[in-house]
Amino acid sequence: MHRFHSRTPAAGLVLAAALLAAVAGPAFATPEDALMPLEKYTTPKAKGLASAHRSRLLKFSEEIYNCLPWLSVAPGGLGFPKAKDSVTDDRYLSTWIYIDQREDPAFAALPQERRVSAMFSRYGVDMLRRMAALSDVIDDGDVTGLSVVLSWLKPGTSRPGKQPVNETFALFVDKATLMDFLAKRVPPAEFTSRAKFILFDGQDPVGRVPLEVWEDSFNSTFKVTNYEPPKGVQCQ
Amino acid sequence: MRAWLSLATVVGGIMMVTAACATSEEWAEWRSHNTHFASGTHAGFSMRNNRDGSNPRVTRTDVEAARQESWWGKAITVSPEQIFQN
Repeated sequence: MHRFHSRTPAAGLVLAAALLAAVAGPAFATPEDALMPLEKYTTPKAKGLASAHRSRLLKFSEEIYNCLPWLSVAPGGLGFPKAKDSVTDDRYLSTWIYIDQREDPAFAALPQERRVSAMFSRYGVDMLRRMAALSDVIDDGDVTGLSVVLSWLKPGTSRPGKQPVNETFALFVDKATLMDFLAKRVPPAEFTSRAKFILFDGQDPVGRVPLEVWEDSFNSTFKVTNYEPPKGVQCQ
Repeated sequence: MRAWLSLATVVGGIMMVTAACATSEEWAEWRSHNTHFASGTHAGFSMRNNRDGSNPRVTRTDVEAARQESWWGKAITVSPEQIFQN
């Protein structure tokens, strides 16, 4: 039996604050918070894209929020960044998704690169397909390609007393390759050979891992039992 | 004595707030369905807003609450600057 030894109200308040912090948990973005703020863009091209397509991205963000409640967009994770190592101003329509993956023996038993393949096949491809459907955005000549970033809790790190660590996978691909892949004109192996991607273990770059892509309809077919989107929202 | 009363009041208040959303059985049931996202099974969420089971309905807020229930702290995550330039 745990015993409290607090002798002052201040100690009680500290405990209460700690409990509240534990209850409060992580902060996830509202649909509007998910959009990268305009003032953070560093080039006129990026600012122009963000301004021109803001309402469409906000609608897309609302669709994720209301229709895919098992996913969360990172704050500022939806926008038009360029790759870190880019020497040009090539802009990608990008979405950074947090996946609510909890401890699961089957998932934990997979080698790291297999976990990446499972997550990308399940969530990454579907998110890219949804983004590719934003034709008014994709058809903008200033959009070079699409990018998806997926983060999930690394197995074994989300238990009490452990420091949780996220694995994060980031992929960039040009528009033509993605469209051909989604239309099955480009096989998965060719798609992965053309795409640029990197895995991070926490904050440590793991680099380019072997990536296998297979059909997985989970994200487009899964329904939360008894879940109802807000009135007026149509989910597809 | 006053310190103990203050502590009990604060902790009790927190427990009431957190317990108001669902019974412990409901949370246990929720947590038992934790394998659905990458393991291949499409197990569903299960939560009822009404205690008698009528008008079952789950909202985004319920999902967020369940997510936070199983949260053990801020996860170490790569920063956007390691992936992107703005």
